[in-house]
Amino acid sequence: MVNRRDFLKGIAGGAGAAVAGFALGSSTDLMKEVEGRTFENLKSMVEAPPSEAYLLVDREKCAGCRSCMLACSLVHEGKENLSLSRIQVIENPLAGFPDDLVQEQCRQCQYPECVAACPTGALSVDEVNGNVRLVDEEKCIGCQRCIEACDQINNPARAAWNHEDEYSLKCDLCIDTPHWEENGGPDGKQACVEICPVNAIKTTDQIPVQIGQKGYKVNLRSSKWKELGFPVE
Amino acid sequence: MNGYMGKILRLDLTNKQKKTISTSDYEEFLGGHGIGSAIFFDAVKDKTISPFNPKNVITLMTSPLSGTLAPSAGGRTEVQGLGPQPYPTEWFTRSNFGGRFSAMLKYAGYDGIVIEGKADKPTWINIVNEDVVFEDADGLWGMDTYSTQEEIWKEVSGNPSNSPEDREWYQKDRGRDDGRTTQKPAVVAIGPSGEKKSRIGALIHEAGNAAGQGGFGGVFGSKNLKAISVLGTNSIEVADPNALMKAREWIHENYEYDEEDPECEHPLDYGSFPGFSFITDAPGSGMGFWPKVEPARPQGCLSCPKNCRMRTESGYGSESICVEVVMYGGQSPKERYKSANLAQRHGINVYPISTTGHKYLYDLYKQGFLGENGEVETDLPFEKYGEMEFIRALLNKISSREGIGDDLSEGVVRAAEKWGRLEQDLSSGLLQRPNWGYPQHYDPRIEVNWPYGSILGSRDINEHGFNWDIHWIPQVSTMLGLDPVFDAEEVVDNVSNAVVPFEGNKSMFDFGEDNIYSKDMVKTIAWQRYYSRSWKQSVQYCDWFFPNFHNPSNSPTNQGFTPEAEPKFFNAVTGRNISFKDGMNIGKRIWNLDRSIWALQGRHRDMEKFADYVYEVPKKAPYFVSSKQNGEWKWENGKGRTLDRDKFESWKDRYYEFEGWNTETGRPTRGNLEELDLGYVADELEEKDKI
Repeated sequence: MVNRRDFLKGIAGGAGAAVAGFALGSSTDLMKEVEGRTFENLKSMVEAPPSEAYLLVDREKCAGCRSCMLACSLVHEGKENLSLSRIQVIENPLAGFPDDLVQEQCRQCQYPECVAACPTGALSVDEVNGNVRLVDEEKCIGCQRCIEACDQINNPARAAWNHEDEYSLKCDLCIDTPHWEENGGPDGKQACVEICPVNAIKTTDQIPVQIGQKGYKVNLRSSKWKELGFPVE
Repeated sequence: MNGYMGKILRLDLTNKQKKTISTSDYEEFLGGHGIGSAIFFDAVKDKTISPFNPKNVITLMTSPLSGTLAPSAGGRTEVQGLGPQPYPTEWFTRSNFGGRFSAMLKYAGYDGIVIEGKADKPTWINIVNEDVVFEDADGLWGMDTYSTQEEIWKEVSGNPSNSPEDREWYQKDRGRDDGRTTQKPAVVAIGPSGEKKSRIGALIHEAGNAAGQGGFGGVFGSKNLKAISVLGTNSIEVADPNALMKAREWIHENYEYDEEDPECEHPLDYGSFPGFSFITDAPGSGMGFWPKVEPARPQGCLSCPKNCRMRTESGYGSESICVEVVMYGGQSPKERYKSANLAQRHGINVYPISTTGHKYLYDLYKQGFLGENGEVETDLPFEKYGEMEFIRALLNKISSREGIGDDLSEGVVRAAEKWGRLEQDLSSGLLQRPNWGYPQHYDPRIEVNWPYGSILGSRDINEHGFNWDIHWIPQVSTMLGLDPVFDAEEVVDNVSNAVVPFEGNKSMFDFGEDNIYSKDMVKTIAWQRYYSRSWKQSVQYCDWFFPNFHNPSNSPTNQGFTPEAEPKFFNAVTGRNISFKDGMNIGKRIWNLDRSIWALQGRHRDMEKFADYVYEVPKKAPYFVSSKQNGEWKWENGKGRTLDRDKFESWKDRYYEFEGWNTETGRPTRGNLEELDLGYVADELEEKDKI
């Protein structure tokens, strides 16, 4: 586990080390303020050992059924509640495609501000489980600083709040799913990926481009999708 | 109990009162339709009142599976009450809409909403968790259904758009203890048509989820109720989360269309003619035969594995399916999709203005009966029939009740009656309305489970359980000029394997000219009535996904997931341990409760007759169904058939006997009701002299 003390050491190591492991975005992304991170705010951040897996989504493929959200809430919390899902699908049913829908998943950031913001070490990098950034619910004091930190860079914050049991929620790639018999984590199964009826969520072990959205919002459509009459470009 | 939130909201619009009913009092009826019927029976003392009487009670009910991962059951809402659409009697009837309203209602803490009374001025109901507020709808009155929803989204959570800055966790001020959400409130609204108490006014939720049949939009209007909005952040308890997740994985792996590697593909260029998707269940298949003319995504109701609708770039046709997108527009798909949106915005029930609506009006125009110099004068632009101008004008008139719109807002059947045309046009088939004034859906002379179920009930049944298999499989192939992709015997085997408790009875699916009056067909109808009332309308598995008999994704047998899936999800969520057959028995109980309500409204077997054309005018076009001829199963073309009046009357005897009903009146008997533990219902029937 990377604890808070290790983070303080990391900060002492300086920004140079941080930038070394940095997956660069396109120059267009670098030039303008984009959703998610910018180069400027990354420079000041601390790198953590990279997660061994990441969720990728295809917002032009997603059918908006929210099965992923229901699966997420179910396997982690044992209950059904869209507010307790660590992946969020947000729809405006009256808007036109593709602006009618976004899927917002945790990015397992290379520079996890949620981890840095946690005062107790409850939100940490789990070195035993592929460096996934996850919350130890027992240690969480409910200060919500992780949510606020994520909210600074992501709309909406990918860390969620369990108001019933009072702890922060964030994607753990299904490492800790007490209500599902499958093994999760970077090498295992993820409930949202398993359930998605149109395969609009996948995992990768490659670090996505950290600046902007493009690294995480990808094209998962094959030629078969085109045969169904839907756009693949 | 798990799956239920434990309370049902009872709202009295007259006195602005809010009460709750304990769900446990009604859980024996499963959910949805069963609970709705039971509450209606208890709440409405005089069932013979007009649907527009403030004492009419409308229920919007969820299921224990609403808001959960149960496939296709996560977002549907059952609507019931006295409906103004059925003709000539305004039966107690039902409708249902998809989307996510029922899920949000449960997250807010309620298993349903019961609405009674009439507000003294336009009102909308704002529900955010335990807070239920009667809001002033003066500013919304007159708005179309889309604008109404956008205004309410703004009012409740300030997020009308989907722009990055509007993607937020809402309810932050109360979020620490009450929870937050990124979701918009789920709103069900009426348009101008409902406000004017149209008998074809619909309830609309989001872009294309509509409870159209029954005319409940008009009932909302009569109650001065513009919309109901719900936003919730509570959890639904699930008895066995692992079992629920594993069951959904089982569906995903075995029965869903795999878009990356489908086991049954469309034989032609899919993009230009997606008709075969009726068989493959591919994403976006609900737009039926019409090509995808612009970039779109498939779109599904909450927790749907099929995702049959689409959302398009222009928004035209978004979430509209089936008859909504074939309502009007000649051969131009774009105009079809535009017409669908117009009807959804007006909040007009699409089916009654579809081909048996506007085409009938056009036929009357050609006869010189309707028009500027016709017997019935109207300035409807018939010379523009087929173009957008005509449908725009027609919808505007219906919505505003202006000119001929005042007649048409009552529905085409009541308009035809007023014009003195009804009898002759139902007899000739110029007006194809076989049962209770509802449009002809599947052919009543051939695919008889559809009309038989409809005439024994209160509306066009709109239940596709057998229809995909015994009709669409041969019909689609024939239309495409292909040999049927599946053999009739294989399909009938798969259907008959699943129809517990009558499993193995293949004759139930022999739609040959003689067998449609047989005892086997009695069982076909009984099975469909019980299944629909329980698993489909109470547990609320979607009609377009359940039941599942012949499933090409499950090769090599192609056997579908019925009857295994239905109790599997129900038990995982609720922790009960009921069998498929238990569910069917509850369905029979609910069906008999409905039948008793209709008896109290005056139903008699003499009323259960089709329009004359069904008996007198032969079917003109090719129409395929399964039948057994000389010992062999075939896809039979029923072209040329009529229904035999006397044989149908004899079939009714057999059906009533099977149910234990009085064959003279068609009404339930005390004996049969007591067997179903409905003695209290028999008491009321006896008191009103209807048994």
